[in-house]
Amino acid sequence: MTEGVISGGWQFVWGAYGITAAVFVLYGISLVIRLREAKGR
Amino acid sequence: MRKGYAFILSGVALLLFGSWTGLFVAPPEKFMGDVQRIMYVHVPTAWNWMLAILFSFSCAIAFLFRNNMKWDSRLEAGLEVATLFGFLLCCQGAIWAKPTWGVWWDWDPRLTTTAVLLLATLGILALRSFVEDPMKRAVWSSVATIIAAVDLPIVYFSVKWWNSLHQEQSTPQTVSSPFHLPLRVNAFGVLFLMIGFIMVRTRIAANRLERELAEPELA
Repeated sequence: MTEGVISGGWQFVWGAYGITAAVFVLYGISLVIRLREAKGR
Repeated sequence: MRKGYAFILSGVALLLFGSWTGLFVAPPEKFMGDVQRIMYVHVPTAWNWMLAILFSFSCAIAFLFRNNMKWDSRLEAGLEVATLFGFLLCCQGAIWAKPTWGVWWDWDPRLTTTAVLLLATLGILALRSFVEDPMKRAVWSSVATIIAAVDLPIVYFSVKWWNSLHQEQSTPQTVSSPFHLPLRVNAFGVLFLMIGFIMVRTRIAANRLERELAEPELA
């Protein structure tokens, strides 16, 4: 590693993008389910 | 609800394109290298989290002035989406902090004030779940949202007011031009997603409110 420069770190990048995608997808699915339940009552 | 789903699908399409550009087209940053690519999801989440808080604040004010329950349904939706974005923001920030600062978390002014606001919105949602009377629930959560929103300008200016470990606000003036495209596309992607989420969530809250108001009161 060069002084003051970060090398590598792709695992952190994939981690951040992965958690972002997971949160958005899971929340979207929860909204669809809750909306169907609300309309079904 | 078609409009809500249309916003969500547009947001997903923009995010896919913006993230692809950010991950594979944009150059690595001079000092942070590839780790800086986290910015393309972190900064749009931060901007839209602030917008969700502002939206909730506006709904709270509108409810207290107009006394119309549709603003309460919007407030509930705004608060839930703001809490979701706040949680996501803290997770992304922690993942970026580890390789750049060497720690997952620091009690730095920006991070601390953000955590306070996240806990405040979470607390207001908890308050809403405890209160059964729709009118009391709407008034109390509106007042609590207005109080919590005082923290928003403190979050925004914290990096200027105090000697913060966190970098200054990312804007087109502070970010190099090769990074603009993925940042802008993802910002609109998250914005569209947020609008769609709020529209669908408002419908769910309004449906529940209609049921509550239609139920006969027990003696």
